[in-house]
Amino acid sequence: MTAKIALRGLGHEYVNPFTRERVLALDGLDLEVPAGEFLTMVGPSGCGKSTLLGILAGLVTPTRGTVLVDGRPVTGPGRDRGVVFQEFAVLPWRTVERNIAHGLEIQGVARAERAAAVRRFVELIGLQGFEQKYPHELSGGMRQRVAVARTLAANPEVMLMDEPFAAVDAQTRITLQEELNAIAQATGKTIVFVTHNVEEAVFLGDRCCVLSRRPGRVKTLVPVTIPRARRTWKLFTSDPAFSATKDQVLRLVREEVGGEEDAR
Amino acid sequence: MLAAGTGAWALAAATLPLPDYYLPPPTAVLDALADLTVKGILPTYVLESLRRILLAAVFGVVVGVPVGLALGVSRRVADFFHPILNFFQSVSGIAWLPLMLVWFGFGERTILVAVNYTVLFPVIFNALLGVRSVPRIYVSAMRTMGAGRWRIVVDVLLPGALPSIATGLRLGLAYGWRALIAAEMLVGAHGLGFMIFNAQNFHLTARIMLGMGIIGVLWLILDYFLLRPVEEATIARWGLVQR
Repeated sequence: MTAKIALRGLGHEYVNPFTRERVLALDGLDLEVPAGEFLTMVGPSGCGKSTLLGILAGLVTPTRGTVLVDGRPVTGPGRDRGVVFQEFAVLPWRTVERNIAHGLEIQGVARAERAAAVRRFVELIGLQGFEQKYPHELSGGMRQRVAVARTLAANPEVMLMDEPFAAVDAQTRITLQEELNAIAQATGKTIVFVTHNVEEAVFLGDRCCVLSRRPGRVKTLVPVTIPRARRTWKLFTSDPAFSATKDQVLRLVREEVGGEEDAR
Repeated sequence: MLAAGTGAWALAAATLPLPDYYLPPPTAVLDALADLTVKGILPTYVLESLRRILLAAVFGVVVGVPVGLALGVSRRVADFFHPILNFFQSVSGIAWLPLMLVWFGFGERTILVAVNYTVLFPVIFNALLGVRSVPRIYVSAMRTMGAGRWRIVVDVLLPGALPSIATGLRLGLAYGWRALIAAEMLVGAHGLGFMIFNAQNFHLTARIMLGMGIIGVLWLILDYFLLRPVEEATIARWGLVQR
């Protein structure tokens, strides 16, 4: 069976528009992600994590190497790969409901079917009663919930998430992580989740991919063996396997930053 | 404020040793209002001026907004047109009037060209700026959901540019209103500008003041009933501007 996502000899070089310097963000990166896997990705800042996600999304064209999804090369964005961005990317001029339905609207799904999907995902992410609100009336955490629901509702095969919970407070982040865990378990989607938070990476991932410092390539893939059903913060943080894995990943990341920077 | 101002004016007109045509009292302006209304001159001129500015407003929306949006979509095109639009925005319709009189004659045509021109450029310019200011992340998000070019324009660029488009329309119509009065003065084909300029020939100072007051009040009304409701229903509701 072929992998859901396969990256071969991936390299990306770009010119920084401000300094005019050429930056080699990724170089010789190989990676395979099987269908249904939740892969988290950590690495020192500037290692090209977000570039890599942009390439998977088809928003960035790599300068070298191949990107295959379901064995087909990626040539641009496509609705088979949904993205949840780090910044707030839900549209301020659409209500919660219309934001969530947007992907389906683009796909030309009939109104009744859209309404049913909205109801389902509003419930899944706990936004009942907020359907008619505009994003500026919601907290940061709720806005990211809308973004996750919008991506899920469009029903992509692969979900690409770029530090989606980085901008929300610690309490909300834990709730969102637990929710995402449940969603991953319920939907069985292939997920690539970029973060700079090692704890988050270990809590969410089936495997945690540690990238090297720039130019980024895969340094180590660390499997997380704790079953998904046991992943609530209460159970998880008291599990010795969790702290062992977390320490291992943290050590690997710190090797890359040379201890100058706290990678957590 | 208004009462105090009017009071001071009435007092000055009554006490200062000035001829009536130099500073007529407020009552004289009210008399002029009643007189011109009864004769039907004022309603005709007001409607004439309003017709011209509303025509220009429609023109600005129908032509200016799409052109501004289209030019704003590509960064390269926007960068090219930016200084050109900025140039024509600053050379107001009033500065064009002498040339337009040569080209289009002393008539309605010159007035309409001057006003529409004056409204158009700020609308195009601000629509272009508005498109450029829409966060690119919204466009990226749409593309990953499979949206095509047209849908991105309708769902993202147009609503995202609305605050700027509203500013452009406000500015454009305010400039256009001034250009209209100036054009009516020079061309002399009805309208409020014609009324106040013509009144000066006959030392009908109260009539001039009345015309000036009406020009200001009409603008307040236009702004309040035409532009504000649109803003309230869209950009204020979406949290794009603070009220």
